[in-house]
Amino acid sequence: MKKGYVLLLMSLVLTISLLAGCTTSSNEEDMSVVIYQNKVEIGEQLTAFAKQYEEATGNKIIVKTTGGDTPYQDSLKAEFQSDREPDIFVIEGMGGYNTWNSKIIEFTDDEWIDLTDLEFTVDGKVYGFPVSVEAWGLAYNKDLLDKAGVDPATLTSQDAYREAFEKIDSMKEELGIDSVVAMAAGPDMRWVTGLHNFNGYLSAGLPYGDRTVLDKLNNGEVDMQRLTEYADWVELLFEYADETVLITGNYDSQVGQFATGKSVFIHQGNWIDPWFVQNGVDFPMGFAPHASVKGEHNAIFIGAPSFYVINKDSKNIEAAKDFLNYMATSEEGHNYMVNEAKMVPAFNNVTLKPTTPLSANVTEWMAKENGSYTWLQNDMPDGFGMGTLGPIYESYAKGDLDKEGFIEQIAKAIEALK
Amino acid sequence: MKRQTKDKLVFWLFLSPALISFIIVVIVPFFMGIYYSMTDWQAVPGIPVNWVGLGNYRSMFSDIKFQYSLFRTFTFTLISVITINLVALIFAFLVTREIKFRNFFRAGFFIPNLIGGLVLGYIWQFIFKSVVPQIGGSLGIDFIENLLILANPDLTLIGLITAYTWQYAGYIMMIYVAALLNVPQELLEASEIDGANSWHKFKSITMPMIAQAFTITSFLTLVTSFKQYDIIVALTNGGPTDIFKGEVVNSTEMLAVHIYNVAFKYNNMAEGQARAVIFFLILSVVSIAQVYNNKKKEIEM
Amino acid sequence: MITKKRVSKLLLGLITVVLFLIVLFPFFIVIINSAKSSLEIITNPIALPARWGQLIDNIANIWTNPSINYASSVYASTIITVLSLLFISVFSAMAAWVLVRTKTKLSSFIFLIFISGLVIPFQVVMFPLVSLFRIIGNNLNIQLLRSYQGMIFAYIGFGAPLAVFMFHGFIKSIPYELEEAALIDGCSKPRIFFSIIMPILKPIFVTICILNAIWIWNDFLLPSLILGIGQPLQTIPLAISAFAGSFVKQWDLIMTAALMAAAPIIIGFLFGQKHIIKGMVSGSIK
Repeated sequence: MKKGYVLLLMSLVLTISLLAGCTTSSNEEDMSVVIYQNKVEIGEQLTAFAKQYEEATGNKIIVKTTGGDTPYQDSLKAEFQSDREPDIFVIEGMGGYNTWNSKIIEFTDDEWIDLTDLEFTVDGKVYGFPVSVEAWGLAYNKDLLDKAGVDPATLTSQDAYREAFEKIDSMKEELGIDSVVAMAAGPDMRWVTGLHNFNGYLSAGLPYGDRTVLDKLNNGEVDMQRLTEYADWVELLFEYADETVLITGNYDSQVGQFATGKSVFIHQGNWIDPWFVQNGVDFPMGFAPHASVKGEHNAIFIGAPSFYVINKDSKNIEAAKDFLNYMATSEEGHNYMVNEAKMVPAFNNVTLKPTTPLSANVTEWMAKENGSYTWLQNDMPDGFGMGTLGPIYESYAKGDLDKEGFIEQIAKAIEALK
Repeated sequence: MKRQTKDKLVFWLFLSPALISFIIVVIVPFFMGIYYSMTDWQAVPGIPVNWVGLGNYRSMFSDIKFQYSLFRTFTFTLISVITINLVALIFAFLVTREIKFRNFFRAGFFIPNLIGGLVLGYIWQFIFKSVVPQIGGSLGIDFIENLLILANPDLTLIGLITAYTWQYAGYIMMIYVAALLNVPQELLEASEIDGANSWHKFKSITMPMIAQAFTITSFLTLVTSFKQYDIIVALTNGGPTDIFKGEVVNSTEMLAVHIYNVAFKYNNMAEGQARAVIFFLILSVVSIAQVYNNKKKEIEM
Repeated sequence: MITKKRVSKLLLGLITVVLFLIVLFPFFIVIINSAKSSLEIITNPIALPARWGQLIDNIANIWTNPSINYASSVYASTIITVLSLLFISVFSAMAAWVLVRTKTKLSSFIFLIFISGLVIPFQVVMFPLVSLFRIIGNNLNIQLLRSYQGMIFAYIGFGAPLAVFMFHGFIKSIPYELEEAALIDGCSKPRIFFSIIMPILKPIFVTICILNAIWIWNDFLLPSLILGIGQPLQTIPLAISAFAGSFVKQWDLIMTAALMAAAPIIIGFLFGQKHIIKGMVSGSIK
């Protein structure tokens, strides 16, 4: 008789304890600054830097990193649904700002603001701390280009590119390559096409910061002339790409093709540097100008991909600000950004130079007058680049759409944004 | 305490842990979901929720991507139900016969079921992308070497079904094994004495048992195929693209994936929720009709 | 006649072996590629590895990988799976028993509610569930998101319908006389349940636990919503997704990670294989 009740009581207690188990999140977390970030590759380094900072100042920073198949914005939303909101989180441009603008503070007299040109601003107000500088374009294998007798400095227009591609293509066997360009447009790679490549339509050939084409797009207006020119560029890239990598390739196979010397060019950014370091690839390389539309070009796409923003409901706003300032102004911060996390810092007080090949090349492009085109791809509506445009590139790559079909579908997608 | 009150107490005490969890986790969110599907709910805390009536439902049915997803989900489910049951039945026959290492084979066929959909998806992605072309290359068959399985909508669907059958057939096999072992041996022996041939034995004794099991297995395969998510996300991520009614669509974005994408990737929670409600309605109708139909057949046999 | 029978037997045996090998082929692929470097995989994914020692290196790599955090993920998966199994089976058996033995309209109605849970797909409740958990967290100060208790609680809720349904069917076949005799002896009801009914339920317990173990250990979507990807508290599938889904898709490490994710449950299965297969076979048809 008793035994039964005891067991019953126990199971009930268990349910209650389960429900009431941990009623508040740990205090430690409340005292410290939680930074919720999206770069898996620097998670470790950032954590180590946070420790350094804690030793220097006594303020505790907890680094939470998310990555994976779920886009960061999804994870972030879920994170805000949970009980402990992060103090510092990341927005990736206008889209992120539109979702979160009611939750973030304006930076006013922080030291780092004067040290950069790449802070995130809306109507002249500063909201985001640039995490790093990144750049993409067509990276080339210098050895192979020399062998083919092509000077990357001459690649300043679509015509020059076409000529060079034809030439290289005719020397395939000699150079030992599978295709001229390593390009990827498959389901895993929609960020390359729908965001990065499409950004050429938005900003190539325009002065830095020019948003006219983007503003038109957001109003559902198409610049047909530009789109047609841009489609020629996409056609050129796809035509001289390896079919397997183009259609089903993932990041690894695309970078792998370039790294193993099976292609002369790759449509990627300087974030592929670690791949080379890990796999002992050391041929010289750099970025060629990007000729997304007609005309002469001498620039690549340079920008800050993401920004740290501070939660306005945070209990530790001052500590969070201090941490960001420390990163931008201290030697330890510079060392973390350049040598540990292998990033190109957005701050002009940094004297350390990146050692990896493409990042080093990016700093050269940054130093050039008019050497950069704006990043506008993150300022399109949510899901438009990867969700709506990405599949259109894939269909074009597979041949389900011809060039006219491609132009028509893109135009239709833009018009639907009205 | 009076006997009756005590009984009542025991009744609620025993019932409450399971019932309360179930109500909080399933029933309450279910009704919340139906409500949210008729609002502009965004799931961002602090943003008020406004009533929009059936607006989310109207935009769903005019969405070509949704129509296509619905169509592909039905195709996927239908073929999966057939292949999984067929393969499982073959396995079950083989491992209920008098062979050596019977349990060993049963375990072997069952093991893929232990692999989670996500991990399994990555494994098969690797097989389709790297292993198959390499095998083609080694055999010197150019066609296979150059076969981009995950670039063709139909081949990808077949690939998806292959991976899913690989995972699930072993489990369904177990149910068939149970059914086959339930066939009374005396009956088989008796009919053998009566001079019945194998086909006859199969038809009159084994078949009815299988039919009974089929009610369960077809229900299970139907429901789980219809809800498939993990494998798709890891294996194809919705791709490759296809053209449907002049629009570019994702060929393996089955409903479960579609719902998730609408809600999160396009940042449209309420519309995703409305699609989930329709998903529920379809699933209920289909599964109830299926069970009803099979039960009827089972009796007729 | 005899030779014909033998030939057909041999043939069937052969078919079985061939099918068996086909079914196990993906495992073979996983194992050989877990022992390669990423460059080796790109060159030839079906060759045997050049150096099996690479397997150890890859395992060490996954073991120390911060986004997988293997040891703590396995620990979390184990805690969540074991406790969920325990609560699902005990609570559902208790509920099923009183539902069978109380013959009122109310109990039939409650049973029907449980059954309705079998046709409610996860997708229709997943978004509101997260909201509800947050509301509970904010208003009652019970943390359900990002926590063990929330995860386990959700599994009890989702696991209950099938378990109640299965127990219900089984308990109906237990003769009531057994309990009646004990009642006359002066046994209390709870005592009857825990000392008489529970032991009889053992086979169905095993079946339910196996089914739920496979489900919970491998589940991805529910934990990705409740626990989140890339959190300190993560299960094995979440860890794998965080790792494999990032930009850097290195097949060698993904294969090793797959191997290590599947290893615990496969080892568990091989140990308990006899009971598990018996439990599956006996329980599945009921």
